[in-house]
Amino acid sequence: MTISKTIAAFVGVALFLISPHVLPEFRLFQVCLIAATAVVVLGQTVVTGFAGQISLAQSAFVALGGYGSTILSTSTGQPFWVTLPVTAVAVGVIGFVLGQATLRVSGHYLALATMAFTAIVQLALIHGDPLTGGAAGMPVPAFEMFGRTFSTGGELFYVILPVFVALFVMTANAMSSRFGRGLAALRQSETAAEAMGLDVLRYKAGAFAASGFLGAIGGGMLALLSTYLDPAQFSITQSVYFLAIAVVGGMLSPVGIVVSSALFVLLPELLQSFQSYLGLVFALLLLGFIVLRPEGISSIARTLVRVKDSSAREVP
Amino acid sequence: MSAPLLSIRDVAVRFGGIVALDGVSLDVAPGSIHAVIGPNGAGKSTLLNAITGLYRPANGAIFLQEKRIDGLAPHLITRMGIARTFQNTELFGDMTTIENVMIGLDRHHAYGLLTAVTHAGTFKRAEAEAREAAAKLLDLVGLSGQMTVAASALPFGNQRRLEIARALAIQPRLLLLDEPAAGLREAEIDDLNAILLRLCRTQGLTILVIDHVMPLVMTISDRISVLNFGRKIAEGEPEQVRREPEVIKAYLGDRAKHALGA
Amino acid sequence: MLAQVLASSATAGAVYALIALGFVLIHKGTGVVHFGYGDQVTFGAYLALMAQVLIGLPFKASIVLALLLSTVLGLAIYFLLMWPLRNASLLSRIIASLALGTVMREFLRAYMGPNAWPFPFLLSPNPISVGGILVVPANLAVVGVSFGVLAMLFVLFEKTIFGKAIIAACDNRTGAAIVGVRVSNVFLAIWIISSVLATLAGILIAPMLTLSPDMGLIGIKGFTAAVLGGFNSLPGAVVGGVLLGVLEALGGTYVSSALKDMISYSILIAVILARPQGIIGVLVPKKV
Repeated sequence: MTISKTIAAFVGVALFLISPHVLPEFRLFQVCLIAATAVVVLGQTVVTGFAGQISLAQSAFVALGGYGSTILSTSTGQPFWVTLPVTAVAVGVIGFVLGQATLRVSGHYLALATMAFTAIVQLALIHGDPLTGGAAGMPVPAFEMFGRTFSTGGELFYVILPVFVALFVMTANAMSSRFGRGLAALRQSETAAEAMGLDVLRYKAGAFAASGFLGAIGGGMLALLSTYLDPAQFSITQSVYFLAIAVVGGMLSPVGIVVSSALFVLLPELLQSFQSYLGLVFALLLLGFIVLRPEGISSIARTLVRVKDSSAREVP
Repeated sequence: MSAPLLSIRDVAVRFGGIVALDGVSLDVAPGSIHAVIGPNGAGKSTLLNAITGLYRPANGAIFLQEKRIDGLAPHLITRMGIARTFQNTELFGDMTTIENVMIGLDRHHAYGLLTAVTHAGTFKRAEAEAREAAAKLLDLVGLSGQMTVAASALPFGNQRRLEIARALAIQPRLLLLDEPAAGLREAEIDDLNAILLRLCRTQGLTILVIDHVMPLVMTISDRISVLNFGRKIAEGEPEQVRREPEVIKAYLGDRAKHALGA
Repeated sequence: MLAQVLASSATAGAVYALIALGFVLIHKGTGVVHFGYGDQVTFGAYLALMAQVLIGLPFKASIVLALLLSTVLGLAIYFLLMWPLRNASLLSRIIASLALGTVMREFLRAYMGPNAWPFPFLLSPNPISVGGILVVPANLAVVGVSFGVLAMLFVLFEKTIFGKAIIAACDNRTGAAIVGVRVSNVFLAIWIISSVLATLAGILIAPMLTLSPDMGLIGIKGFTAAVLGGFNSLPGAVVGGVLLGVLEALGGTYVSSALKDMISYSILIAVILARPQGIIGVLVPKKV
């Protein structure tokens, strides 16, 4: 590891250990919320940013992650830290199957197919009465591990943050490996990638699987934080919301994702009394960025750095 | 001639009502350079796309050394040892020159998903080996100084060379070149000829090249096939083919044929 | 019983057809798939509502105002969104149209509240007897307008120079420009026309569906109808709408009414995966 990375790691660990003693509960809760959202958006980034496939299925994956692990926990008695990973792998498989659709369609039709998938999942949850609690939803059991219960923001902090960091590191590693190269290649020219021996369908479906897995883990985390699952939340609009965060953050940048997630989570607070305009502000942000700055926040940061550098060079 | 490396038997390709290839047969000898020429619309690119699996022949069959390859998925055909370049350079523009080449090499320096997400174990070694192999290939085509340049930023002639290096990365037995000389200046064509001849003689690579540019085709080909309107109208050694009346007629029209006294 | 089901499905089918026409018009005319079209239909209806409620105009006048305002809306959409993005990636354009729809929906939710508003019928919702058969003028209006719009657009595309110019501009921008087609004017015209069409559709549909910011979800149904008909075909849009209405009604009656929506979405996925060219359309092979 380079020096700057080592320093960053030390600072990170220090912040992690200090925060629960320094920050108030609701702030810790927000940090958890940001981390969980960022994991979901990371999944979106893999399939839409890296693989270049439009996907509006993220909300469905989040729903399946939350509902799946809850139902599994309450029916088998297994603790959440067992049922969530198991559910996430299953959702990853579902994502892989969904990704097979890319064999037949792309672009608009793929967007439509993923929208329909999200709608079907939501409807299934609303009408799945005995199992899913129907339109009323269902409560999420508290997270238990080693005999301890983690329910407040301050407590879940110790569970969510390490997982968040681990997933980000793993994803970043994968993206700078031959798999990331393959995704970048097929994003730029599928024909050429195929001609280079890449099984393009496998890669695309794999990207969908990753987005499913990450979405489900994020979904489980979000479920723990909200303590209740309400099917009305898991709509197509919610998928657009995750896509918005990805776009604003810059779809290839891990730091951008976290910053953007923070922005969206903290926005209600920033808006204060203008709460009812929340949805509107989100949508306007997405619209503004996609027209003016499709590369997102991360590119703004990069531009600032470039400007700083070039002005430094101008000094004789 | 010993058993052909590539054997195209009576292949027809149709798009709806249009017949792009009408029963073409062709054999490519191993270790040779075989050119396919013909006026625009003759079906040359279609033939290439049929070989690489982008189009499915309506009739006929294509064999790579006894193994039948028509109908297979493109990436599988590639893995059997056929590499190609594209007429409209389909480079991975946002990636660097060396990364473009590494794409083809990755399968030969593979590691699993677990290694990829942890960057542990064989990761560093495999990446280093791949990078080194890529650097060697870039050296072969004369692009050593451009390794970290973004592919889209390369001048046109160098993009062409990168296309070839990238194709070589998959370690092919057969290299298909789709109009490699298009848009090149005379000096660049000479360089290209040298590279291709070297690849053929020193590495035993078999090359099937499609092009219009006669300074390339006439200089390096061992054998030339001529297509027109989806059919093969002539085949043989370069000097022999260029004098064929049908070939002259195809390129220059009937009057030219009479004018040239053929 | 079956006849009754089919009869009532005709209205739903006409609603879907009307929305599908808008989608297909925009796609045929500009190459853009407007994912926010359903929300624009809702917005159009709200324009009429707001004219009534906020300004106090009588119903008929507010309809006229709404239609006028939607021409401005179409203009704004074109200049602020579609024209800047004309060379952007497909992904960006898809996201942009989604964002546009969401902006409209959230704007309505913020300014007019999330709850449903009553919306008056333009034509009477009461059945009247015509030669012994009961017909509902309001429903007939939807059916009639759908066919009327289809006929007009059909004539536009097939018979007029302007229509040919649109198709040319959409097919090959550079080529069209070279032969003198003002591509930007063509696209602008399409956006204005479709905007007015959206408002018209909204005004006809709103009284039937109850007007709320989420009424735009009907957009997916319109989309399904368009896909069924082969996405580039105007007559296909109408056929698709009718077909979807019938399939939904049959599914709702004979399978389950609660799962009616799920049936529609499943149809959509099935068609997309199995027969993307729709029932009518033709698959265009991709040229390398």
